[in-house]
Amino acid sequence: MKQAKSDLLQGTLDLLILRTLASGDMHGWGISQRLQQVSQDVLQVNQGSLYPALYRLEQHGWIESSWGDSDNNRRAKFYRLTKAGRKQLAEETASWERIAAAVARVLQHA
Amino acid sequence: MPSVPTRSWPRRLRGSFRSAAFERAMEAELRHHLELETDALVAGGMPPSRARDVARQRFGSLAQVKDGCRESWGMRAIDTVSQDLRYALRTLRKYPAYTAVVLLTLALGIGANTAIFSVVRAVLLRPLPYANGDRLVELRQQAPKIGVERAGLSVKELTDYRAQTPALDAIVEYHQMSFNLLGHGEASRVQTGVVSPEFFDVLGVTPLLGRTFLAGDDGKNAPAVLILSYGYWQTALGGDRNIVGRTFEMNDRVHTVVGVLPPMPQFPDVNDVYMPPSACPFRSSAHAIDTRATRMLSAIGRVRAGATLEGAQRDLDVVSARLSAQYPEEYDVAHTGFRIAALSAHDELTREARPTLLVLLATTTFVLLLVAANVANLTLARVLGRERELAVRIALGAGRRRIARQMLTESALLALAGGALGLLVGWLLRDLLVAFMARFTPRAEEIAIDGPVLAFALGASILTGLLFGILPAFTGVRHRVAMTRCLTPGRALITAQVAIAFVLLVGAGLLVRSFVKLQQVDAGFLTDRVLTARLDLDFVKYTTAAMRREFYRSVLEKAAAEPGVQTAALSISVPLDQARACRTGFIMEGLAAPDRHAPPQVDFQFASPAYFKTIGMTLLSGRTFTDADTVEAPPVAIVNLSMARHHFPGADPIGRRVSLDEGATWVTIVGVVNDTHDYGLDAGPADELYLAFAQTAPLNATLLVRTAGDPTPFARRIPSVVRAIDPRQPISRIRTLEAIRRHSLAPPRLTAMLVSLFAVVALVITAAGIAGVVSLAVHQRTREISVRMALGASRAAVVRRIVWLGLTPVTTGLGLGFLGALLMTRVVTQLIFAVGPGDPLTYAAVIALLTSVAALACLAPARRAALMDPMRALRAD
Repeated sequence: MKQAKSDLLQGTLDLLILRTLASGDMHGWGISQRLQQVSQDVLQVNQGSLYPALYRLEQHGWIESSWGDSDNNRRAKFYRLTKAGRKQLAEETASWERIAAAVARVLQHA
Repeated sequence: MPSVPTRSWPRRLRGSFRSAAFERAMEAELRHHLELETDALVAGGMPPSRARDVARQRFGSLAQVKDGCRESWGMRAIDTVSQDLRYALRTLRKYPAYTAVVLLTLALGIGANTAIFSVVRAVLLRPLPYANGDRLVELRQQAPKIGVERAGLSVKELTDYRAQTPALDAIVEYHQMSFNLLGHGEASRVQTGVVSPEFFDVLGVTPLLGRTFLAGDDGKNAPAVLILSYGYWQTALGGDRNIVGRTFEMNDRVHTVVGVLPPMPQFPDVNDVYMPPSACPFRSSAHAIDTRATRMLSAIGRVRAGATLEGAQRDLDVVSARLSAQYPEEYDVAHTGFRIAALSAHDELTREARPTLLVLLATTTFVLLLVAANVANLTLARVLGRERELAVRIALGAGRRRIARQMLTESALLALAGGALGLLVGWLLRDLLVAFMARFTPRAEEIAIDGPVLAFALGASILTGLLFGILPAFTGVRHRVAMTRCLTPGRALITAQVAIAFVLLVGAGLLVRSFVKLQQVDAGFLTDRVLTARLDLDFVKYTTAAMRREFYRSVLEKAAAEPGVQTAALSISVPLDQARACRTGFIMEGLAAPDRHAPPQVDFQFASPAYFKTIGMTLLSGRTFTDADTVEAPPVAIVNLSMARHHFPGADPIGRRVSLDEGATWVTIVGVVNDTHDYGLDAGPADELYLAFAQTAPLNATLLVRTAGDPTPFARRIPSVVRAIDPRQPISRIRTLEAIRRHSLAPPRLTAMLVSLFAVVALVITAAGIAGVVSLAVHQRTREISVRMALGASRAAVVRRIVWLGLTPVTTGLGLGFLGALLMTRVVTQLIFAVGPGDPLTYAAVIALLTSVAALACLAPARRAALMDPMRALRAD
């Protein structure tokens, strides 16, 4: 049971990361700040759990990373959405919307 | 989920190899995150020390995050394997007895297989180590209708085949001579291969030093040259690198060394030196060159690239038909069945070794199966004993697949370690096997632990690991299965083990029985206290029969006068020596002349008067030779019983005359002696005719001496006795007759010993397996047994029940083994003598042995069960 719950969370987090990166290259902390801002503080996960997701997405080839200088002259690892990542984002967005709509219908009519 | 992009795999692999760099980058990235978060909090007005704590808090467990990252990066698989390995190592250390027993049995099983495989590979599988090894054929003229399987070729025939066999692009000649070589230390007798100048090129042999023969080396006026074999160069000449150009005296001519051969199995025979045909005084005689019937040569052909052995045979058939038509008198094909056969040189070199090797290979394969079954049994018992631990681990969330994998890891680890030890065993056995195989094939020296053998050992280890690992892994996972069902695989393994042990024991039993029968064969002569030595006279020195007679007379006189010597005698050769065959056709006086191309054949031997007494043969009628049978006296002969019966049935052969030279001279039979086994104790006696040594005075002789006591000290005296007469006379092959007999028995003895050794190992392993399974059964039925005893079952009844429990699968195993043995022992029929492969005595003995060993193996655990205190066992629950 535990496995299934984390799978759902994981999938959602992956989608959010891909969506965030679609608007520009970012390092890990930047992504976490952006998620928090846009979701208006509703989605507040342990910032750390972001990283395993990033590594997994990179392994899938949906994002790629490179080291560069951040605003305050520190070395930082920046993530960028790849072509495959864009395709994946489109697919996952569509499937998320289908599920969300289905869940909404159930909530309304069941 | 959409499909994973293909490039993720290589990257995943790269990631796992770059773990140090990966760790550093990950650390840096996470540190950067914490710093930014802290900065942001400080910028919001929080004091720096508190900001750091809050940042850490929001981040969550650093260790967990790192683990998560690593797992995402694909190091998970690697980590689990190393974890499994560490866990396996710990477990194995915890059960040292189990580990030791398993490793030992595996080392034995894999080692035996590796060793035998290294032999099979070197001898049977690898092509001959000449560049053209797979294209060489031996050409053999045969006359099957009169029982001649390998006649040589004459020079004229060789020329005919060379010119008319397109499928062979070369035919080279070979024959073996034995000459005296002078020029370093004592005169020595050297085995000499007389070969066509292109012989080594056709084989595809490159010399180690110098060159091989050139066409110019073979010719009437060509200077005499020699090529040394590697072995002779090493042992007799100390491996002198400057040997090329040195000269030796041979057959009254100076011979110059032009080359040294590389270490290689020599084909067709092992020789010390090689010379071209023109250097051999016999081969270059006009008689040998001009007479079609003087067949002293062997011929080796090389199949043309693209042609086949069958094609060569077809070509040869055409030539032999042509020859038969052209020289009908000579070949008389209707009567002789004259033909010429092309035989693969590889098969000929390994023919003798093949059946023995196949038997050994089958034996070790069975031993390995048995080892796998036994280790599976031990492992199974241990898994069942670890039930509690496994239950705890499953309760703690370990997946069943993970546990199964864990167990397979343990098995794999054990199998590989066992395999490594097995290699060591195989390596230790190598020298023994080389010595063993040298009795069957000149290829023995090629035996080595090389790449394919290593691969074989690895493969055998992995296969064994899987065989013994899978069953326990599944049983371990289904650990909740009822006890009785857990026992089923164990009992099936007992059945398999007993069946395998049965086959091996029957095989060993047959070989041992056959060997015992061989040893009981009456050779027809006595082997104790007789010393033999070869004396080969130099034909350039002893040119007349009178000179030779004088030499032999002095040798006999001096040898007989030595202290401790009872009798001394001369013959050409001794029985049971491989070089014995001297056969000729003969005609009997008073009988209508038989077909002159197919006269009856007889082995002939020259013997001095004391020969029969010296080797303990019996005179059945008439007289033996005496000193009066000189060259001036009428020629006389003695026949053996077999010849008397075959050719003089119901009549007394004494006084009858025979001729060995188509009636030119007649020899009178004066006595009959008993038969001797000349060609091996397993071969029946041949018809034999003895001629008086003094009336023939051949160039080659064997001195035989019967001593009063141990003959070995006299071995050192023989050379000085002979050299007192002729200081340049070589003496070779000084051996006791007993040693010759033992040598002839060595192959069957060693084969019987090896197979018996494996069979005993099999028996011990099987007994251990039975005891293990029954012990486990007793352990698991403690409660049941206790209840029975508490309810009044007698101890004897308990013992009976448990022994019965163990013996049921044993009985099934005996049945299966019986059938298996009936099928498998066909393999050994070629190796056994005077015993049938279905020998009832052997089968009965094996059944009795296995049953009693199995019963004994059951008895110990059964006694333990009977002796336990039922109340205590029940309370313990």
